[in-house]
Amino acid sequence: MASGRSPYERSTYRYSPLLAFLLVPNSFIHQSWGKFLFSASDLLVGILIRSILKLRGVPEKTCLSSVALWLFNPFTFTIGTRGNCEPMVCAIVLWIIYCLMNGSVLQAAIWYGLVVHFRVYPIIYALPILLVLHPLNLQTGQKLVIQKWSQIQQESSLYSSSTNLFCMANPLLLLRNLFTRRRIIFGLLSETVFLIFTGVSFYLYGWEFLHEALLYHLTRTDPRHNFSIYFYHIYLHHEHAFSVVEKLISFLPQLIVQLVLIVRFAQDLPFCLFVQTVAFVAFNKVITAQYFVWFFCLLPLILPWSNMRLKWEGLSCIFVWMCAQVHWLMWGYLLEFKGKNVFIQLWLASILFLAANTWVLVMVIRRHIYSSVFLLEERRTSSKTRKLQ
Amino acid sequence: MVCERVDYYTGQRKKEGETDQICLAFSFCIPEVLYGYRGPTVRVVACILTHLSSNKISWQVVSIQPHTTISELPEHFCEAVVIERLPSGVFADPFELQHLVQRGVFVDAAVFGDTNLELPSALSNRSVVEVHMDIGHNILSKHTDELEINLELPLHARYPPLDGSGYSNVEMGIPDLFIRCSTERNAVCERCFWVKRAEHIKSLADAVLWRIPSGNKAHSQVVSYVTFTAAFLSTVLIVLAAVCYSPNSSSKNLKKLQKS
Repeated sequence: MASGRSPYERSTYRYSPLLAFLLVPNSFIHQSWGKFLFSASDLLVGILIRSILKLRGVPEKTCLSSVALWLFNPFTFTIGTRGNCEPMVCAIVLWIIYCLMNGSVLQAAIWYGLVVHFRVYPIIYALPILLVLHPLNLQTGQKLVIQKWSQIQQESSLYSSSTNLFCMANPLLLLRNLFTRRRIIFGLLSETVFLIFTGVSFYLYGWEFLHEALLYHLTRTDPRHNFSIYFYHIYLHHEHAFSVVEKLISFLPQLIVQLVLIVRFAQDLPFCLFVQTVAFVAFNKVITAQYFVWFFCLLPLILPWSNMRLKWEGLSCIFVWMCAQVHWLMWGYLLEFKGKNVFIQLWLASILFLAANTWVLVMVIRRHIYSSVFLLEERRTSSKTRKLQ
Repeated sequence: MVCERVDYYTGQRKKEGETDQICLAFSFCIPEVLYGYRGPTVRVVACILTHLSSNKISWQVVSIQPHTTISELPEHFCEAVVIERLPSGVFADPFELQHLVQRGVFVDAAVFGDTNLELPSALSNRSVVEVHMDIGHNILSKHTDELEINLELPLHARYPPLDGSGYSNVEMGIPDLFIRCSTERNAVCERCFWVKRAEHIKSLADAVLWRIPSGNKAHSQVVSYVTFTAAFLSTVLIVLAAVCYSPNSSSKNLKKLQKS
C-alpha cells in the first residue's frame, strides 16, 4: 500500500485494507511499527479491563489481579508482539463495552460498525448488544445505573422472566420494546459505519477486497489441519463441493449454542460475550491459536463474578485446556514436521480439544454469579420503595 | 552499463521446453569495451540432491571447474540462479523466501504460479520457484579447482489427494542452474543470453520421491459420523448448562464469596 499497490496482491492477506493502511508507517518509520502498535493495543486492553471493572464497582485488588491475568498472559502478549492485530480488535471490543456501560450508545455504535468491518467475527455480539439496550435499562433522559459488584442480585432472574412473559403475552408491547429508539439508532449507525468503510474499501480494491476480507471468512473451509473438529471431515470430502445441507448441518451447532447463550445471558453482557466467543471459536470450522485471544480479553471481566476456586477447580480447568492443546500440538508436529500419517490421531485430538472447551465452558457457566450490567428500572423502583419504607 | 552476451561458449541457446534436463547455463555480462574477450570454459561436476525432509530440500547444487583461469579477466561478481519447477502438491512459501532474502541467504527469490498456500493439491496448480544466490566475486579468476554451491530451499507439501495407502508420492526433479557474472554487482542484464552447457551435466539424483501423508478415503464415513456426533453432544451439554443455570443459587454463592 505504501508503494501505491493493493494489499491483496499479497496472497493470504485477508483483512480490511484499513489494517494495511495502519501499517504503512512500517515502510517509512520503522519496520516494527506494527508490533509497537499492537503491543500498545495490548496495554490499552489492560487499561480498559481496569476501567470496566472499576465502573462495575469491583474492589481495587480484584481489578489488579484481573488486569494482571491479561497483561502477564504469555499467550496474549506473544500474539501482539509477533505482529498480530488481534489486540487491536480486543481493545475496540472492550471500548464498546465501556461506552455501552457509560451510556455512549452513539460512540459504541460507531466503533461496533468499524470493528465488524475490521474483523468480521464481532458480528456475533450484535444481538446481545441490542438486547442489553433494553428499554427498561435505558429510559430516555434517565442516567444509567450500573449494577455494582457488591450489590447482591436476588430478584434479577425473577424480574427478567416475569417481564419477558408479560411482553410475550402482549405483542404490541413486545414490538414497542423490540424497536426502541436506542436500538434503532445503534443498528442504523453501526450499519452505516460498516457500509461506509466497506464501500470505500470496495471502491478502492473491488471484488478482491470483498472476497478476501469478507466473503472468504463466511465460506471458509480449510482442509489443512487446525484445532477444529471439522478439518479431517473437510479434507476427506474436499474433492467434491459441499452441499447446502452439509454446510447447514455443520453450522447448526454453532447457531443453536449462540442463540441459547444470548437469550440466557445477554443482560450480563461481558459474561455473555465471553461464553459466546468461547463457543463460537470451539465450533468454528477453522480454529487457529490467535482466535483464543478473542476470549482471553473478556476473561478478566468475568472472573470477579466467578466463585470458582483456583484450587482445584480453576487449576483443573487450566490444566485440562492446556493439556488438550499440547496433546493436539504433538500430533500436529508429527504430521507437519515429521511427515507421519497421524491424521486420525490429530482429528481425535481435535475432538478431545472440543471436549475440553465444552467442559471448561460448562464449569465457567456453573460457577458464574449472574449479574446484569445495569439495574433495571423495575428493580430501581422497588429498591427506592424499600428505602422509603 | 550495457551487458552483452559473450559468445565463446560452445553450447546452444536455451530453447523453450528444452530445459528439463539442463542443470547449468552460463551467462557472462561484461561492458561493451571488453566485448569479444574470450573467457574460461566451465564444467559442471555434479548436481546432487543431498537431503529431503518433510519441509526442506537441500541440493549440493553444482561444482564449477574452470578449465583455465584467466588472470586478466576484469573484476566480476557472480550469482547462481536456481529454478525449480515444483511438482503438483509441493509449494514454496513466498513469505518464507522473502525472509531468507532479508536475512541475506538469497539475493532474490520469487514464486510463480499458484501461491495460495492453503489449497490442497487437487484444487491447486503447479508453481515455479526461482532463487538467486551470491556465489562470490572473481570466482573465474581464482586458481581453484572447484567451486561448490550449497542450496537449501524450504518447501512445503500440500494436502495430497486421498490415497488408501496413507501416503502419496511426489517426484522431485532436478533444478535448472544458471550462473550469471557481471562486472557490476546487481547489474541488470536484460540483454544477456543464458547459454546452456548440457553436455557437462552429471546428475547423481535424477528424481527423488517425497512421501507425503494423505487422508484415507475409507475413513470418510466414520469421521463424518463421529465429528457431527461430537458437535451435537457438545451443543447439548452447553445448552443444558445454560438452560439449567440458576441465577438465584449463584447469588447465594456471591454472598458467601463476599463474606470470605
